[in-house]
Amino acid sequence: MHAWRTFVLRRLALLLFVIVSILTMMFFLFKLLPGDPTSVFVDSNFPDDMVQRQKALWGLDAPIWVQYLRYMGNMLTFDFGTSFFQMMPVRDIVVEKLLHTASMIVPAVIISVALGATLGAWLGWRRGTRREGAAVVTLLTLRSVPSFFAGIMVLMIFSYWLGWFPPGGMVSVGGAGDSFWETVLTIDFLHHLALPCLVLVSREITSPALLLRSTMLEVKGSDFLDVLRAKGLPERRIVVHATRNALLPLVTDVAVMMGFLFQGQVLLEIIFAWPGVGRELVTALNDLDYPVAQACFFVMALIILITNFIADILYSVIDPRVAYD
Amino acid sequence: MAGTQSLRSPAVAPSAGVASGIGALWRVLRIIMGYPTGAIGLVLILLFALMAIFGPMLAPQSPFEVSRTAAGGVVRLSPPSWDNWLGTTNQGLDVFSQLLWGARVALTVGVISAIGSIVLGTLIGLIAGYFGGWTDEVLMRITDVAFGIPFLPTALVIISITGPSLALIILLITLFLWRTTARVIRAQVLTLKTRPFVWAAKAAGASEAKIIFVHIAPNVLPLSFLYMAIGVQGGVMLEAALSFLGFGDPHVMSWGSMLNEAFKAGAMRTAWWWVAPPGIALSLFVVSVFMVTRAYEELLNPRLREI
Repeated sequence: MHAWRTFVLRRLALLLFVIVSILTMMFFLFKLLPGDPTSVFVDSNFPDDMVQRQKALWGLDAPIWVQYLRYMGNMLTFDFGTSFFQMMPVRDIVVEKLLHTASMIVPAVIISVALGATLGAWLGWRRGTRREGAAVVTLLTLRSVPSFFAGIMVLMIFSYWLGWFPPGGMVSVGGAGDSFWETVLTIDFLHHLALPCLVLVSREITSPALLLRSTMLEVKGSDFLDVLRAKGLPERRIVVHATRNALLPLVTDVAVMMGFLFQGQVLLEIIFAWPGVGRELVTALNDLDYPVAQACFFVMALIILITNFIADILYSVIDPRVAYD
Repeated sequence: MAGTQSLRSPAVAPSAGVASGIGALWRVLRIIMGYPTGAIGLVLILLFALMAIFGPMLAPQSPFEVSRTAAGGVVRLSPPSWDNWLGTTNQGLDVFSQLLWGARVALTVGVISAIGSIVLGTLIGLIAGYFGGWTDEVLMRITDVAFGIPFLPTALVIISITGPSLALIILLITLFLWRTTARVIRAQVLTLKTRPFVWAAKAAGASEAKIIFVHIAPNVLPLSFLYMAIGVQGGVMLEAALSFLGFGDPHVMSWGSMLNEAFKAGAMRTAWWWVAPPGIALSLFVVSVFMVTRAYEELLNPRLREI
């Protein structure tokens, strides 16, 4: 137990260290390279005193270390300032975009895990049959297709050729409700969600399926299943018992998947014109809207780090040997 | 399998060095050819390599050259025809030529960043694993930080600040790919350095550099090769993703930038011949590397055969 606590504390310290490193890297990238934030606003024809006044207003006249500390303080308290172009607090923008991203990722993860786990359990049980081999190869191949090409193809076929689904966006024009939940809990939203979700599921289903399959193979030979069989349980109930053993690794897998998707969905958000945090990052970078770009980058990195941290801790619970590493 | 045995045997003749690395690579290729999927994958990769090397010479046009009719008009959005095998883009550019040039860009980025990252990763893994202690601690914490950095957002931010170029993209991909290699090689070195042949070398008075590079390194090379193959695949994918998002080098035409142009022009609605070739080429390349690495992984880790 003691070693485990040390492990968790070390991981936590590492998490904080990585966050500070990333923030520091970002500070220097955005502040020291040519084109500091004032260049977006301040024309080179402006008189000098006006430039100075603008700089003072933005706190850019302070020594670099004061700026650094101020910056770290702001970022760690999620105070991201005001957008250059949208004239609203960046925090509000980012929260909204994050919810949009989550509304695409969370359903996709739930479906992937549910379908993948079921499929994997079945594959493990049917180990060695021809159909099982074909299914595994199909899954692995599906995952190798680049997500943005898969997205483009799906859009081309189901939206442009067949006309079954809208060609992008989160809701139809005028379809947005007053609140997030009012927007999301509509048929119109689900209609828009279907295609991006299909692409995500076709890729993300692989890892829960393979995970469950290998757990099933391990469990299959163990004694307690023979006991259940001897008790006369039907085969289907036995599969359920065997599956239960795979749940914790599955939870770890979900944590990793979430983190990964929060950075990988940038491409899909662009293709499906989904107003999420990844698309906002690309737009903000193209518009030189630095406060928004920084905030989007920071929250994306933060989510990935935190989900990985959770996965590490969960993993150490499953397999205590890692804690002594 | 005799080849498997010699590959996994730790006692490489000390004088062999690089030559044994090449020999191991040759043996590995022969064994991969023994797997049906591995053989198909290798043949496909070879075709892509030929396409990257000779494609631009065979391409009917330069990727930025406008196709014109005999009367001098621009051939816009023409479906595949005798003059333009894979049709033309909305600017009248020849898709087939772009596809051939794109292979060169893709493989250049993939191969250079893969070599860069396995050299970096293998060196860090060797040094951290062999010396242990503080060296290991520092290098592994750096690796942990590298693992915490999300590639796509970070690359987008850096490229948008410094401006896009192929060299920068290669550098970013290299800095992203080395971390896995470093961890795996380090773990391998930790077990290797307790083997008798390392004690023997020490007892014989070999220097630490000699032990690391002559005695230990050849034994981790098979793993490095695996990560190099995976790295080529990763590099090709990442370059395509960046170019697709419009952050690629504007001076070259890669598969990703073809898809970007096609996407921006709404070609999904109008010109399937413009969208499909780069996407299929990209997918086929990724799948073929996957088939080879899968066979190779089974070779390195026989337990996978049962899974």
